[in-house]
Amino acid sequence: MTVSADTFTYVADLVRRRSAIQLGAGKEYLVESRLLPLVRQAGLAGVDEYVKSLRNVPHSADHDRVVDALTTNETSWFRDVAPFQALTGHVLPALIQNSPGLTSLRVWSAACSTGQEPYSIAMALLAAAPDLCVKITATDISQKVLARGRAGRYSQLEINRGLPAQTFVRHFTRAGTEWELSDQVRSMVTFSQHNLLHTPPAGGPFDIIFLRNVLIYFDIQTRGEVLRSVRRALLPSGFLLLGAVEATFGIDDSWETVSVGRGSVYTPTKSGKTQGEP
Amino acid sequence: MRALVIDDSRTMRHIVADILEELGFSTTQAGNGREALDLLEAGETYDLACIDWNMPVMDGFEFVAAVHARPEWRDLTLIMVTTEGELGQIVRALTAGAHEYVIKPFTSDAIASKLQLLGLLPAGEPI
Amino acid sequence: MSPLPGVGVDEVTMIASEIFTALVDHRTALLTPWPDGPVAVTDPVHAWVDLSTEPSSRVQLMTGAETAADLTRAFLRMDATEPVQEADLVDAFGEMANVFGGNIKALLARHVEITLPQVSRQPPSDAGAVQLLEVPLAWRGHQPGLPHRPLVISLWRI
Repeated sequence: MTVSADTFTYVADLVRRRSAIQLGAGKEYLVESRLLPLVRQAGLAGVDEYVKSLRNVPHSADHDRVVDALTTNETSWFRDVAPFQALTGHVLPALIQNSPGLTSLRVWSAACSTGQEPYSIAMALLAAAPDLCVKITATDISQKVLARGRAGRYSQLEINRGLPAQTFVRHFTRAGTEWELSDQVRSMVTFSQHNLLHTPPAGGPFDIIFLRNVLIYFDIQTRGEVLRSVRRALLPSGFLLLGAVEATFGIDDSWETVSVGRGSVYTPTKSGKTQGEP
Repeated sequence: MRALVIDDSRTMRHIVADILEELGFSTTQAGNGREALDLLEAGETYDLACIDWNMPVMDGFEFVAAVHARPEWRDLTLIMVTTEGELGQIVRALTAGAHEYVIKPFTSDAIASKLQLLGLLPAGEPI
Repeated sequence: MSPLPGVGVDEVTMIASEIFTALVDHRTALLTPWPDGPVAVTDPVHAWVDLSTEPSSRVQLMTGAETAADLTRAFLRMDATEPVQEADLVDAFGEMANVFGGNIKALLARHVEITLPQVSRQPPSDAGAVQLLEVPLAWRGHQPGLPHRPLVISLWRI
């Protein structure tokens, strides 16, 4: 089953407009393999049919899912790179500057999947501020991925993806055909099940929240609810990090966008409701 | 951008070169470290070299060490792409001058992700 | 006393799965354990590498020539109908043995050397070679309608 030229052109156009990423000739296999899960979820027969259903409707959550499916890479360490540079290059210094003598930091990695994100955060902060006591709350709705995160063991294919070699040799040891994270890094992260539609998890309020590549899976209204809920779990001086093609703009206006490098981080505006206020 | 693909297996050279070309590199192939060094010494310049470890004549480790010793070649990014998966060997390679390390078997997005880390590719590029 | 301690069916299967996911099937491994029953391979091709363990050991692959050609096409991203040159098949199947061997080597506690791969229509014939393990796998391949094709990985003391 292959994707029609028409379908491919439409999808490539959509992706380019939303993300500036170009899907050139030869990437048809990518469109097919990345969209098949969405096709199955929609109960349709094939990618062409699925894309056809998108073409004549205004921009919707489905369009976003298509863009995400094609701009995303599989669960990766230090995904998209820039947010982790923003973490240590902008967010951390700002937090320290706001509270001189800061000794501990609380981070929430929401929709943490198999753990690469919270562990990447741990390794980045360990390198940038080894004396800081960092506690990372990692949550996901799926018990299966949480179990993998707790185990802290990854296959060679997973290790190859996005993990700087120097970081790898510093924190991993071989466990048969797999690689295991050090106790030091694993002890920084607590995994628990959590549904983003419910009240925030224990472990907060947080200095930093990573909510990356998950909002796009909700409809517009729910995104607003999730963002407002997340905001209540964030300290007034805290920072929110979203996925590379996501923004708070148009969803919830109680955030300020701070440009950092090629991306952004978000801080709660002073005027909106803050945690603890009636 | 130009890449040098060094592996004694024609198949592996083809696979890596294909991936790099899809990512926008023009590629040149060499069958061992000696052939690759000859190209550099003849004045050819590259932005990136993907290097296997176990090769006849001159292996990848020796090539990395040879490149690292020459200041005029410091701009050449060196990524080892090899089955050598022992932690000690990886540390040796990084200490000798390799900038990154990919263990075979690898997916094409593994190579892309390493290039993103090194700033040779915009982050977020799908593969 | 096995020269390859810690290398059992699970390890071999895991390595095979990763090789196929990454380099052959690209994302989805179409590889499963061989269902019960004899593995009959017409027109076999063998590829192997040796490791300088004590005593020496061998990591060997065997499949049918047509399957080896399909594996080559998958490696080199060729069309299903493109003819495969013998030299390409030898190089590709040999490289597969090399990657297998390298990954098994990485499981060992002591550093050992690995030989360059050899590929032949005849199995290697070292007197006194003792088979330690045989893992037959089934590859669904990229051509719909074809039955599972066998790929047999074996470990030997030589």
